Amino acid sequence: MDCVIKLEGVSKTFRDFWLRPTVKAVDSLDMTVARGEVFGLLGPNGSGKSTTIKMILGLIAPGAGTVRVFGLPPQTVAARRKIGYLPELSYLHPFLTARETLSYYAGLCALDRATAKDRARQLLDMVGLSDVADRAVGSYSKGMARRVALASALVGRPELLVMDEPTSGLDPVSTSEVKTLIRTLSGAGITVLMTSHLLADAEDVCSRVCILDGGRKAAEGRIGEIGGSLEQFFLSKVGEGRDFKVADFLR
Amino acid sequence: MRRCRAITGATALEMTSEPLGMLLTICAVAAVTFAAAFHIHQFGEPSRMARDAGFSVVLVGSSAYAVFCTIRAFRRELESGTLQMALSHPVSRTAFFVSKTLGAFLASCMFTATVFCAAAVAAVGAEAGWAIAAPTGDVSRIWGVSLSLNAATMVLPLVVGAVLNRFFRFRFAASAVRVALAVSVVGVVAAAALARAWGLVPGAFGLVRRMLPVAFAAAVPSAVFTAAAAAFSVKMRDGAAAGASGVLALASVPVLGNYYLTDALAKGGSLSWSHAAVAAVAAIPFVAGFLILGSTFLKGRDLG
Repeated sequence: MDCVIKLEGVSKTFRDFWLRPTVKAVDSLDMTVARGEVFGLLGPNGSGKSTTIKMILGLIAPGAGTVRVFGLPPQTVAARRKIGYLPELSYLHPFLTARETLSYYAGLCALDRATAKDRARQLLDMVGLSDVADRAVGSYSKGMARRVALASALVGRPELLVMDEPTSGLDPVSTSEVKTLIRTLSGAGITVLMTSHLLADAEDVCSRVCILDGGRKAAEGRIGEIGGSLEQFFLSKVGEGRDFKVADFLR
Repeated sequence: MRRCRAITGATALEMTSEPLGMLLTICAVAAVTFAAAFHIHQFGEPSRMARDAGFSVVLVGSSAYAVFCTIRAFRRELESGTLQMALSHPVSRTAFFVSKTLGAFLASCMFTATVFCAAAVAAVGAEAGWAIAAPTGDVSRIWGVSLSLNAATMVLPLVVGAVLNRFFRFRFAASAVRVALAVSVVGVVAAAALARAWGLVPGAFGLVRRMLPVAFAAAVPSAVFTAAAAAFSVKMRDGAAAGASGVLALASVPVLGNYYLTDALAKGGSLSWSHAAVAAVAAIPFVAGFLILGSTFLKGRDLG
């Protein structure tokens, strides 16, 4: 198996100013993602999905264990040359226009001016923002900003696309477009790692999923082999005994 | 190189688009130009007060601009998450930090150049005003001209910035800052040419030339403060970073007192470029030290 991402015994404990441990976000996680897969990293809030993604991107250093992306430590420029990242919230410079934003990220990928301009035009066309490309992104709606962030993640033509909640904040039409895009990218040989709370979305596009709970791997499997729906599988692994105990005065 | 250019350009644009930066620039230009209104007070030599005021603002203003705008640029990058987005692209943390600091320094150089040009206009204007007023003792006409010039330097960039924004969708603050620089550069050439043509200040261009190395030497600290503010802002929150950089700035102000620099220009004297170069060379280890410190802070920081 051609392995794009490999995590071995990865743990991460966040500490306060005095280096006292505050939270163990990820605990002894082993995980591999093969080339061309659409891999879903699922789990309840606070299960360590985003921390895992940030360790894969080299934004957070693991406390223990090793992370390899394309066989390289993710902090290296060589590894990140092949990665595109769509964060959960669209982190964009509000004073730049969509076109300038894409030129900026193309510049970070060291693309020459002509290529950057061409890719920016194509991506703006793809995400349907050509008409408003010269407006500052600070004035965009959440959905429009999300589209710019998606285009920014793709401008370097990545071999691995990491998407944190890719359909978050999108309307049903845009959600469907994103899911189609993920399938298209996967068909073109691009590996996709995504997190989602929307299990139906994950079930639609993922070939394999890993469920995290409390920073540990609770389950892993291929979508076709889990038996029943992904939601049932998910709830059976992490949802038991999690109902709110309704306060007496509310009864 | 392309990565560095992208980060540097975006940072310089961000800082000049910042309303606070625009206000600081226009207020500094206005303050310097306003000093020409007091040219009747010679303080030893004609235009001495205008030069004093100009260099004071270059020295203190450019340092303050560098500190506050650099901290804002870095903290916003850290807190809004755009740093995570940038560093998920193939750019090293060191390259990002150095490029962003360079962008912040370029923006503070624009501020310094604008204020310097305004100071040169004020100095030439003050000498010309003295040449007119001295024989008769009637200063009323010169006051009117000085105050009109002052109002124009404040209002013109804002009006042109607003027009460019309204009709051509240019950024208001960035346009105003660029117009302020353009007006100042044109102003200094025009003022010197007119003062010489009318025989009021025969050595007008010489005066501006003699002011250049002093302005350069006075602007060197802003490079140190930019690097210091960038390094502190990676590690500390806004207030703490501003405090640390501010203490550093205040500690160095007496040492870099502009009085002696201005004094070097008195009665036709000049400051040699080699003195200015020595100041720049002396700043290099400090700038390098803060760049290394800031890069180390950023490398060790978890983002997210």
